Amino acid sequence: MHGTRRIVNALLYLILASFAVQAEPVKVLTYDVAPFAFTNGEQNQGLLIEVLDELFKRSELEYMVQFLPLKRAIISVEHDNNTCVLPIERSQEREVHFQWISPVLVSRYGLFDLPESQIYLTTLEDAKPYVIGSFLGSGVGEYLKDFGFRVELTSSNRQNVNKLLRKRIPFWAAELVSANHLMKKAGVNLTPELVFYTSLRAMACNKEMDFKKAEALQASLLSMYHDGFLTALYAKYGTEI
Amino acid sequence: MRGTIRSIYLLSLIISAGVNSARVVAQPETEQSLVAQHWVDSELQPSTLSRDEQLRELQWFINSSLPYQGMEIRVVSERILTHWYEANVLAKAFYELTGIKVVHELTGEDDVIQKLSAQIQTNQNLYDAYINDSDLIGTHFRSEQVVALSDFMANEGQAVTLPTLDLQDFMGIKFTTAPDGKLYQLPDQQFVNLYWYRHDWFSNVAYQRQFLAKYGYALGVPQNWQAYEDIADFFTNDIKEIDGKRVYGHMDYAKTDPSLGWRMSDAWLSMAGVGDVGLPNGLPVDEWGIRVENCRPVGASVSRGGALNGPAAVYAIDKFVSWLNLYAPPESSSLNFTQAGEWPGKGVIAQQIFWYTAFVADLTDPSLAVMNEDGTPKWRVAPSPVGKYWQKGMKSGYQDTGAWTLLKNTPLKRQQAAWLYAQFVVSKTVSLKKTLVGLTPIRHSDIQSDVMTKKAPYLGGLVEFYRSNAREVWTPTGTNVPDYPGLSRFWWQYISKVVEGTLSSQQALDQFATAVDKHLDMLSKRSSHPCAPKLNDKQPAQFWLQQNGSPKPVNLDEPKGKTLPFEEAINAWY
Repeated sequence: MHGTRRIVNALLYLILASFAVQAEPVKVLTYDVAPFAFTNGEQNQGLLIEVLDELFKRSELEYMVQFLPLKRAIISVEHDNNTCVLPIERSQEREVHFQWISPVLVSRYGLFDLPESQIYLTTLEDAKPYVIGSFLGSGVGEYLKDFGFRVELTSSNRQNVNKLLRKRIPFWAAELVSANHLMKKAGVNLTPELVFYTSLRAMACNKEMDFKKAEALQASLLSMYHDGFLTALYAKYGTEI
Repeated sequence: MRGTIRSIYLLSLIISAGVNSARVVAQPETEQSLVAQHWVDSELQPSTLSRDEQLRELQWFINSSLPYQGMEIRVVSERILTHWYEANVLAKAFYELTGIKVVHELTGEDDVIQKLSAQIQTNQNLYDAYINDSDLIGTHFRSEQVVALSDFMANEGQAVTLPTLDLQDFMGIKFTTAPDGKLYQLPDQQFVNLYWYRHDWFSNVAYQRQFLAKYGYALGVPQNWQAYEDIADFFTNDIKEIDGKRVYGHMDYAKTDPSLGWRMSDAWLSMAGVGDVGLPNGLPVDEWGIRVENCRPVGASVSRGGALNGPAAVYAIDKFVSWLNLYAPPESSSLNFTQAGEWPGKGVIAQQIFWYTAFVADLTDPSLAVMNEDGTPKWRVAPSPVGKYWQKGMKSGYQDTGAWTLLKNTPLKRQQAAWLYAQFVVSKTVSLKKTLVGLTPIRHSDIQSDVMTKKAPYLGGLVEFYRSNAREVWTPTGTNVPDYPGLSRFWWQYISKVVEGTLSSQQALDQFATAVDKHLDMLSKRSSHPCAPKLNDKQPAQFWLQQNGSPKPVNLDEPKGKTLPFEEAINAWY
């Protein structure tokens, strides 16, 4: 009789513990990069913030967002259960260390120039003779440098809009959503002469996080592509997937 | 404004092409045909086609692309010289001929696969075509998401299929054809992993005498792993120094990194003789140790009829690790694929059991220590030696073709426009020139051409290999592997544990085989495809080891080393 009670208690404990894990909000770490994710201290905003909101709503999971520098965020997620980081590149080196929700972000990169430019680009190589503006830490700046392009780096991407407008650089390499955001602030509306590269970004979650949560999040993410939610969201930010 | 600039540019092409227009027979002097003349004369030489044939082929592209003029399509491939040439030169030519603008993105092969998978899963038209390795053929035909090109060419793609495409001229067409007999990918570039060695050192009479005295057979191209091991020992421990430099008889890499997996999945086990007889891949057991029954993968572990943890696989991994520790430069175990790739050019390596010929262009740089003053290399490539479980009729090395792949969820008009570009960059008008640029030949007609005969002495044996029947025996991952992206990542995770010394080869392969079986089981539950995996029940290992073929029981033979002179080593495959 005592034995039966102990088993019932143990089962109850396990059920409650599993509900507790289920109920514990997932901690989502991201970093400050407008217009994808930024905060004014009270409210978080941006394309990725809207993606997260819908993603967790569809998955019926609680979550909380915290801003951290990317390197620290990745280390935290490696060690802390129930924690995720986005957006990050899903490389083979990282593959085995996380559970992946992907792709949370499809980014297109273009070369912007002034409307009066006389330079016509059929291929990326056509831009080889010219200086291309980018910013320190930019992945696409590195990509272009690897191919032997002359890339001039600024400390912030915003400076490149001004450099382009003042004709100090003929081309500015930028991610399309970020570029729209920066151009809006500068009061200009330029179109890319060539959209030359696409990157996919993922959300990496701790390897020990409840597999069912990861599965629910991945299914919800795909449903957001399939029913047009993400197409509409990208359009709101001035671009398409 | 931009349109005006383009017109001015085209006009300049027309003027320059006009100089040669007298040679054109029965070509209408339209703007586009003059553009075609410009490209044929200024860039697309040499070709196995006559100039007139080239112009006719380009005219077909001009005419067939009219409904797609003004479109912009997006394709993606890995970053190698061949694709750089396509992205920056051929895409431009195609645009000027057809008015279809192509953004040909270059990225890592891993990223290409992720993008292809993302398009399938999200149903978003990320790209209009992909160039991805034919290693994925087993994945593609089971996925039902990839366009069967043979169906496409006969139906909705018929009007945009080049009459002179000549599929039988592609050397890698077998690699991209599935068990259902359908073609799923069109080869775009092809490379092979071959034995690489310093022909000048092997030709040194003093070394030849010393080797013969010690081992009782001639120093030459090793035909089996024992000879490879003897030569490795000879240069690392007997010769030791050449021209004042420390030299090594073996080179490899083993950093815990995804590229360690390629070393293995790019068919190390095939050389050892893990799989069954059968080309392009062993049947029923392939070189990954996966058994199929009626096209259904049924297991990788010996207990399910596979060979991934069988005696031949253990032998293969033991040799990999022992050669690395005994004969390679001490740094090699901490190098990855890219870092190790620079070593043969340094002039301190005597041989490498297999080496990617995608590096031939890099290793013929005249400034390197491994080049002669006349522009010929001091090195040669030859068919790799085989291990003691290998038998005639088995695959004995790795070759792959990066191939054009269309996804079903790309809108038809975009598929058709992308298909035109795909055919353009592999057309006979273009392919010989592209071969000379990137040294990744795809067509029989190119490899048999006089141009390649003249080029052969400068390419260290590459042309001879492709002219021999060996090209049929070096093959990619086959159709036994039902989920290449999902399964390939296991290789480096388990093999690295052997390199690090945390597990024995047998222990690591046991765990690896179990992980593969588990993955196959997961796939079997997700798919209703008639060729989807369906695991065999477990049997005692002895049950399978006593059957004919793979998995094979322990072979206790210690074969004597065997070598051949370079010419005979190549001729053995004619």
